[in-house]
Amino acid sequence: MKSFHIHTGTSLPRRTFLRGAGAMMSLPLLEAMTPAFSTPARTPQRFVGVSLYLGLHGPNFVPKGAGRNYTPSRYLRPLQDIRNDFTVVSGSSHPGVVGGHTAESSIFSACPNQRGATTRNTISLDQLMAKHFGHETRFPSLVLNTGTEKSPSYTENGAMIPAINDPKKLFASLFVDDSPAARKRQGELLQDGKSIMDIVGEEAKALEREVGHGDREKLDAWFTSVRELEQRLEINESWVERPKPKVGKPPRPADPNNAADVKRAFLDIALLALKTDSTRFLTLHCTTNGVRSLDGVEENYHGLSHHGRDEDKLEQLTIVEQAMVNAWGDFVRALKEHDQGGGRHLLDDTMVLLTSNLGNASSHDNKNLPVLFAGGNFEHGQHLAFDPKDNYPLPNLYLSALRSIGLQQQNFATSTGEMKGLVRTV
Amino acid sequence: MPAFTEEPLKERIEPMLFDYCFDCHDGAKPKAGLDLEGLPFNPEDPVNFALWQQVHDRVHHHEMPPKEKDQPTDKERQALLSYLKTDLLAADREAIEKHGRVQGRRLTRIEYEHTVHDLLGIRIPLANQLPADESDHEFDKVADGQQLSHFHLNQYLQAADLALDEAFGRLEHGDASWKRSYAPKKLATEGTKGNYRGPEERDGKAWVWAMRLQFVGRMIGTHVPESGWYRITIKDVVGVNPGPDGAVWASLRTGACRSDEPMMYPVASIEATTEPRDHSYLAWIRKGHVLELRPNEGTNKTTNKGLKNGKIFYKGQNHRKGGIPGIGFGPITLERVYPSGSRADLAKLLLPGVPLKGDQPAVRDPKSALPRLLRQFAERAFRRPVTDKQLAPYLQLARAKLDESKHFATALRAGYQGILCSPRFLTFVESPGPLDDHALAARLSYFLWSSLPDEELRQLADRGRLRETKVLHDQVERMLADPKSERFIRNFTDQWLNLSEIDFTSPDPRRFGSFDPVVQDSMVLETRAFFREMLDENLGVKNFIRSDFAFLNTRLQTHYGMKDAKVIPGKGLQKVAVKPQQRNGLVTQGSILKVTADGSVTSPVLRGVWIGERLLGLHIPPPPPNVGSIEPDIRGATSIRDQLKKHRSEASCASCHVKIDPQGFALESFDPTGQWRSHYGRNAKSAKVDPSGITPDGRKFDNIQGWKSIYESQSNLLGRAFAGHLLTYATGASVRFSDRESIAKILSRTKKNGHGVRSLVHAIVLSEPFQHK
Repeated sequence: MKSFHIHTGTSLPRRTFLRGAGAMMSLPLLEAMTPAFSTPARTPQRFVGVSLYLGLHGPNFVPKGAGRNYTPSRYLRPLQDIRNDFTVVSGSSHPGVVGGHTAESSIFSACPNQRGATTRNTISLDQLMAKHFGHETRFPSLVLNTGTEKSPSYTENGAMIPAINDPKKLFASLFVDDSPAARKRQGELLQDGKSIMDIVGEEAKALEREVGHGDREKLDAWFTSVRELEQRLEINESWVERPKPKVGKPPRPADPNNAADVKRAFLDIALLALKTDSTRFLTLHCTTNGVRSLDGVEENYHGLSHHGRDEDKLEQLTIVEQAMVNAWGDFVRALKEHDQGGGRHLLDDTMVLLTSNLGNASSHDNKNLPVLFAGGNFEHGQHLAFDPKDNYPLPNLYLSALRSIGLQQQNFATSTGEMKGLVRTV
Repeated sequence: MPAFTEEPLKERIEPMLFDYCFDCHDGAKPKAGLDLEGLPFNPEDPVNFALWQQVHDRVHHHEMPPKEKDQPTDKERQALLSYLKTDLLAADREAIEKHGRVQGRRLTRIEYEHTVHDLLGIRIPLANQLPADESDHEFDKVADGQQLSHFHLNQYLQAADLALDEAFGRLEHGDASWKRSYAPKKLATEGTKGNYRGPEERDGKAWVWAMRLQFVGRMIGTHVPESGWYRITIKDVVGVNPGPDGAVWASLRTGACRSDEPMMYPVASIEATTEPRDHSYLAWIRKGHVLELRPNEGTNKTTNKGLKNGKIFYKGQNHRKGGIPGIGFGPITLERVYPSGSRADLAKLLLPGVPLKGDQPAVRDPKSALPRLLRQFAERAFRRPVTDKQLAPYLQLARAKLDESKHFATALRAGYQGILCSPRFLTFVESPGPLDDHALAARLSYFLWSSLPDEELRQLADRGRLRETKVLHDQVERMLADPKSERFIRNFTDQWLNLSEIDFTSPDPRRFGSFDPVVQDSMVLETRAFFREMLDENLGVKNFIRSDFAFLNTRLQTHYGMKDAKVIPGKGLQKVAVKPQQRNGLVTQGSILKVTADGSVTSPVLRGVWIGERLLGLHIPPPPPNVGSIEPDIRGATSIRDQLKKHRSEASCASCHVKIDPQGFALESFDPTGQWRSHYGRNAKSAKVDPSGITPDGRKFDNIQGWKSIYESQSNLLGRAFAGHLLTYATGASVRFSDRESIAKILSRTKKNGHGVRSLVHAIVLSEPFQHK
């Protein structure tokens, strides 16, 4: 008779494993893990979606004149050196997307959220891309937020993907190797996770028989989630023992009272992730409220966005928003500078979007969204000016983006076709 | 199903729709996008059902047709409503019978945490391991709003692993004991390297003075060795040079207290007076974090004397003499504790019936112990008896692990982990129709305890006694008397009243300089205490509007400007009698006024919608898609009232704004921090607040007091709204068309005492929707 012995494995913090290997993965892996369409000998295509939670003040953002000869607006003046690398869009928005801040969930899904229109969200642009093309990298996608865990990235089930909001953890998961013992433990735990998922799948099936019809839709979500996690765990196993890319020191930490610097810190890591091909699809939602470190700014971001046309507040808001736009511009420049070899620069194969759920934060208006769209296989350098009173559907831009990376989508959300006036080069 | 002799609904009501509705709701561009002629009656489709329900409701409330259009006779209106109601009711009942109101509800992350705590006998934070829940109809418990992804499943794997690590780790190693005492001298000298921000030692006490600098009052020496629960005891706390509150309010927080890790975790607000008091708190402190204790009132004088290059020095300074508010204290003790119980308690839950050998549990026959222990665990976790077949996969998992590891606990742990990831644990397994006894026990315990049924409830369910009215009544009383009912108070008010969003906006410090973390903390405590009192004393719903008591501390007293209230310094939050014209009731509490405003301005529309929906039970549809919202203009040329006036002159806007604006206008007398104001700006020359208005039924009021006088007598309306929220929270499904009759019954049961909150809880538990899937 053997006396009871409690064995809890090594003292390694085993929970770090899934966090490192699983939770960071943000891809709904379906059976359709293979590209729907293959383009031989094409360099990998990438997408980065940056979203601002408080919009951009329209009068400072929208340029005068349409087409290639537009006169840059105040916010775009500092971006004139890369003028031909991006397109600015005005007068467009997502049809049926309302509700002020609550429209955040539709930034990249364009899912109409009007009462009665739908009961749940649909897949976001980045996740749809990752679903088809995300399997080649350690991270099928990265979902980031500068402040909270909320994200505008949604799975096919309409579940929000919780965002990574800690730059230190993000950097570690991308570039810092775990110890050999920890990796071994991770391997074991991936195995355990797989056997548990087997049971969970069987149980969901048993429940379908026990509780009847009404819960079927809910149980369907269990089936897909189990399947997706199983595939995820499988793929993770192949990455566990592979060393992570070495990039040296982490980028400079951000000043928490400067939303633009926080954005910069995340984009610095995003840039490293793209350069090392750790991921190809990434969203960053900017929700930092602190901006008082910016010269001339005394209030917080959210308070300033409710400027109520007060000149002093508008002046401060302009400083903040300019810094936010500039941080995006710096990121685009960095992509443009990076030579991937063969004369192709990272920006040539990376679409970079800047948008928001709000066109006017002061009135919580979801029309006339700010849109800057850089890189990828498009002819840039123009202002696509649509009707501010009768907005053009922005999902059309998303459809263009999807088609440009090789997905033969009929449509995306409420799209009516590809973006008018935006010429694809592929 | 509709009565069989009748022609289809659409044909029966078409003549009336033709006469009164089609003028606007017809053709290619119908008003509000609603084309009634083209809209079929297809109630199996939830979207279609909702549209017809809306038609019913707006006609019922005389909102449609709009006032300036031709009106149907009363008889016509009644006929239309009765046709609609009959068919909608029939369709709704049929759907509920077939599918139930609640489908596959999953534990929220708060419920998950409480459940795993109660199941394993541990108390480590777990909710933050899981993705945040989304709300639907204000509540995260509502099944329709819950989505599941592989992320959730992955996080469930992790959270279970973490919880079992803690439980089995304590079983194996026992509890760590750690205790340190810090004398004032030690608190004031340690960690002087770098920028000193700690206390001053003077006259045998440690002192922290009111300064604006970050991390003032941090005590570097108090860092804890491991993340865990600690008992913090602070001796002989006194306050000197108090401001207008008559006491010095300080905040006690923990954190790394470094600029590269600035996040601070609040423990408590401490009220210090001239009379020395000991304070003791229980707090979860993260590894390496330290204590910070500092005066923290916006109304206080602060000093920047003795500050140099971000460093504090006390030599040559006498802040006490300088009239600077300060908090002084004697020794601090930190002790590691396990609030969920001892290692022996843990063993009873994890290894019931296994004898201890020395301090180690001894299992004689692992092969037979495994199924017995797993079954006991599964039956508690799944909240119902488990068949052999249902247990099989978990047993198999554990047996495989036993073969592989030859360690009993590793095997048991694997089985437990499987159970904690099972949909039988994570969701509520309920069949359409009346809930069986075990499902009812679970619904009850998740309503009032946010966790699984205890032994007594489980036994009552086993014996089939839970359907008895008397038994249910006694159980509700027992559960409300249990400390676990605090979870109900907290979760319910967090969501119903948005208290969890109290820090969503931070008031503009230039305009609202007197606002501080102590006020914010106090407001939330005030509202929870107020609700607890209504529940304990079974007070009627009119108290939401006006009450003869309030919960105040000295800080709130100052903030609210209630000089006459009898608040005793040093006693913290206390119940005080107040006059009708003083601040009382729920609707004018600071927490409510703050969560309904943004950091710099108030909007009568946002507040009006919020109060309308949460307290008055008005259904306010969102603005039609093509209506631009009002852009606030705080320059003073046009007031929001003027803008609204223009807005309301349009019929389609007016139909909702008559319901929204009155309460919003009445509350304009309170700024975004909940302070009283007569003017929008700082001085008397700025725009004057006009808090007058007219209720939807045409009654005029001059200010918030007038508004309160109108609504405090409307117990039925307040009760219906509250019962609806409570029912939604209790069942995890929003109020449906056919639930209205149940709510009417609940109201008639509770009419006698003005719909006392406790009576309402009892009536909800006895209601049909609560007892059915």
